[in-house]
Order: sequence, then structure tokens, then C-alpha cells
Amino acid sequence: MSGLLENKVAIVTGAAKGLGQAIAGGLSDAGALVVLADLDEDGARSAAVGLEGAESARCDVRDEQDVTALISGTVNRHGHLDVMVACAGVATVKPIVQMPLEEWREVLSVDLDGVFLCTKHAGLAMAGNGGGSIINIASIKAFGGAPATGHYGAAKAGVVSLTKTAALELRAAGVRVNAICPGWVGTDMVNDRKQELEQVLGISFDDYIAHVQGRLGEPDEVAALAVFLASDRSRFSSGTAYVVDGGATASLV
Amino acid sequence: MELDGKRALITGAGRGLGLAIATLFAERGARVALADIDADAVQQAAAGIGGEAISLHCDVTKPDDVQRAIADVVQAFGGLDVMVNNAGIEIGKPLPEISDQEFAQLMAVNVNGVFYGIKYAVPALAQTQGCIINMSSVAGLDGVPLLGAYCASKAAVIRLTQTAAIELRAAGIRVNAICPSFIQTEMVDRLVAPFEAATGANFDDLAAQAQGRLGTPEEVAEMAAFLASDQASFVNGSYYILDNALTASVL
Repeated sequence: MSGLLENKVAIVTGAAKGLGQAIAGGLSDAGALVVLADLDEDGARSAAVGLEGAESARCDVRDEQDVTALISGTVNRHGHLDVMVACAGVATVKPIVQMPLEEWREVLSVDLDGVFLCTKHAGLAMAGNGGGSIINIASIKAFGGAPATGHYGAAKAGVVSLTKTAALELRAAGVRVNAICPGWVGTDMVNDRKQELEQVLGISFDDYIAHVQGRLGEPDEVAALAVFLASDRSRFSSGTAYVVDGGATASLV
Repeated sequence: MELDGKRALITGAGRGLGLAIATLFAERGARVALADIDADAVQQAAAGIGGEAISLHCDVTKPDDVQRAIADVVQAFGGLDVMVNNAGIEIGKPLPEISDQEFAQLMAVNVNGVFYGIKYAVPALAQTQGCIINMSSVAGLDGVPLLGAYCASKAAVIRLTQTAAIELRAAGIRVNAICPSFIQTEMVDRLVAPFEAATGANFDDLAAQAQGRLGTPEEVAEMAAFLASDQASFVNGSYYILDNALTASVL
């Protein structure tokens, strides 16, 4: 895959760990200059180590000034922005009837507002500069009920919808906008909540995963799709939510 | 290269999307077998690709033909890693004007052909932990005037894909579909006149409004190459839309 993203400049939010880190690594391996952004500045700096030419930046995606500074700084330093991966996301485990409004808003502010801000400002930067590819990380939870993660699912459904609208609005400017909807992937976000999920849902997590998708996905398997969508090989792809879930959503039961 | 060592069988490879897929797969390192009901076209297509490409005569509506094509590929290449069920036909008429025979023939190619391509490829693909790529369409996602039979057949391809993916997961076989919108192929060329007659609108204007421009066969082939590669190891049971945002709009 080396060389596929030669001369492209990419930003990845939430890049300190998990999917964001894997995606940043994938884009870098394919030749892109990657700016790894995260609320955890030290984490982003560590994740950038070993990636050729990579930079790191602190960014709170809930804060419009942070997002504009990240994007304008990148464009000022490198002349253009070609790929924006809005990956920063958070989740908690709680049924709707027990969910404090503050917790709901906190998850929505990162997972939906953050993607809105990244899409808005990356779209502006790319539209003025010949186009680009925006990749928003959603989830298969965008497509159906997700017990104990109602805020996360609602945010991700919102991400899919705004991805489609942005794709239509930005098509004439050459900006492609797609979403990736992973199933269950072996990241800290999932592994750290395994016990909580088992308690709330009353199931064995490993049995559940084996049944719905065979196995947990690997972060690199999501990154490979991001590299494809970032590249010119996918130049006719826009406005689509691409699922990578081992078959989880293919089944009715 | 991404497809080094892969052995692929592509149906409907005499022209259009199938030929573009076979061509790109070969460029990326795969050994390709091109199958088509048009023996002359597929022979020329394989000769044009050169290298180790082979051509096979295959009518996908005949289970014996499909079985034989798969056996021939396994014999020629020593195995099968990627089965691309691409052969398809269209009818551009309002439903009441489609003859019963025309409807049955379209289903025989577009649905039965994919069913046979899945069913008879499984033994070979189980040996290699290979994958299947079925050609569906955005017409499989919603109704389209003049394309009722085609829409129904492509919706069936998606459901076959999903069920096969779940059933074959334990065997290590991935099954996915691609849903392109209007692509620069002879099939779409044939639909221009009926569309313009029915709508009174210019087809290019319609395409530009709906999807910016027509897609190219090479762009569909790129999606197929991604799904065929090990990069897509966790993509299973999915239908990947390729339409430059046509279906993103609710209007």
C-alpha cells in the first residue's frame, strides 16, 4: 500500500490510541503526512513516534476554536489538507432511563458535535483547494438499537446523516465525505467496558461476539478501509456509510 | 502487489464491469479466469490482458456451466481464491410491458447465476479461505422506473450475499456485494434511449444531477480489488455502495 497516499496531508482526531492510532499508522504507512490530534496531547505525541514526518497536536473536538486552529495550522504549514479522519469518540455504558442529561450531552458533544466541526472546517479548507476526502468514524450502532449505549448510537446515527448531507453539499467542490461503521473492534473502548456490558446486558461478552461477528475486529482492519477511502482509488465513493463488522449487521438474528 | 498469488474467476468478463475487474486484478498480481456467455468476446478480452489470463465459455443460468468453469479454474490455477459473480443483464421497460419470458430470463442470469456462483464455488473457496464478490446495484436498494425487474434481481443479490456471509463465516469465506450507480458501460448506454423517452429529460443531465457524473468501470474495479484483498479481512456480509452520493439524498 506504500505510495498510495504520497503527497497527501491528513489529520486524524482521537489519534492517541485505538482506532485513531491505527488509522494514523495506516495513512502514514501509505505515504501520507499525518497530523495526530487528540485531547491527550502526550498520547498523540507518543503515537506519532516512528511515523515518518508525522506531527501531533492537542485538540478538543468539542471546541470550534481548537478545530479551526488544528486545520488552519495544518494548511499553513503544509499548503493543503487532503484527508480528514474524524475519529475522536467516547462512550459510557448506561440504560436510557438511568442516563443523566449531562452524560448524554457529554457523549453527543464529542461524538456528534466534534464530527460536525471537523466536517465543517475540513470541508471549507478542502473546497477552497481542489477537494479532498473526509472520513467520519461512525459505528454499526448507527443502524439499530444498542442497549446501554443509546447516546453513542444516537450520535453515530447523526454522524451517518451528516456525512450524507455533507457529501451532497460538497460534491461539486470535489470533496468526498464517507463514514466507516465498524462492528466490535478490540480497542480499549470495548475491552475496558467488557465487564460493565456483561453486567448491564446479562450476557457473556465473548459468546456474544462469537455469535454476531465471529471474532473481534482488529484496529488495522478498520484502518485499511480508511486508507482505501482516503486514496484516489475510491474517487467515486461519497455519501456512503461503509460497514466493516465481520457480518454482524448482515443477519436479522 | 495487493492481489499477488490470488486466483480469481470473474463472470460476465467479456466486457463492461467484468472486463475492468479482470484487467485490474491482473495488474495487481492476480491470475484471472474470464468467463462469459459470449465466447468470442471473452477470448479476446483474455488475450488483451495476456499473461496467464484464461477465458471460459459459461452461461451462468446453467448450473453445469458454472460448475465446469470453477473446476476448470481450479485445474488451471491449482485453486480459487476470489469468485466474482458479475454477469448480469438489464431490461429497460415499465413492468406491464416486460414479457414473462424476459422477466424469467433476467432472474435466471442475475439471481440464479449468482446463486450458482456462490453454491458451486464454496468447496474450492473453503480450501483457500477465499472470498466472493457479487455485483448488485443501487437499483437493489430502491425502486427505479423502467428497472423494476433489474431492481428486484439486485435486491435478491444483496440478501443472498448477507445470508451466504453468515453461513460461510465459520469456513473462513467472506461474501460481499458492490452496489454501483450509473457507470459508463454498454448496459447504461442501452438505457439512455428508454430513460429519455420516458422522462423527456436528457440522460446526461439526470446523471449529473443525481451523481455528479457517470462512474467508470475502473472505479468499480478498484472497489472489487479492495474487497478481494486481505485489506478487507473484516469486511463481510456488506454491500458497498459506489455512487458519488446518489443514494445519500432523500430527494
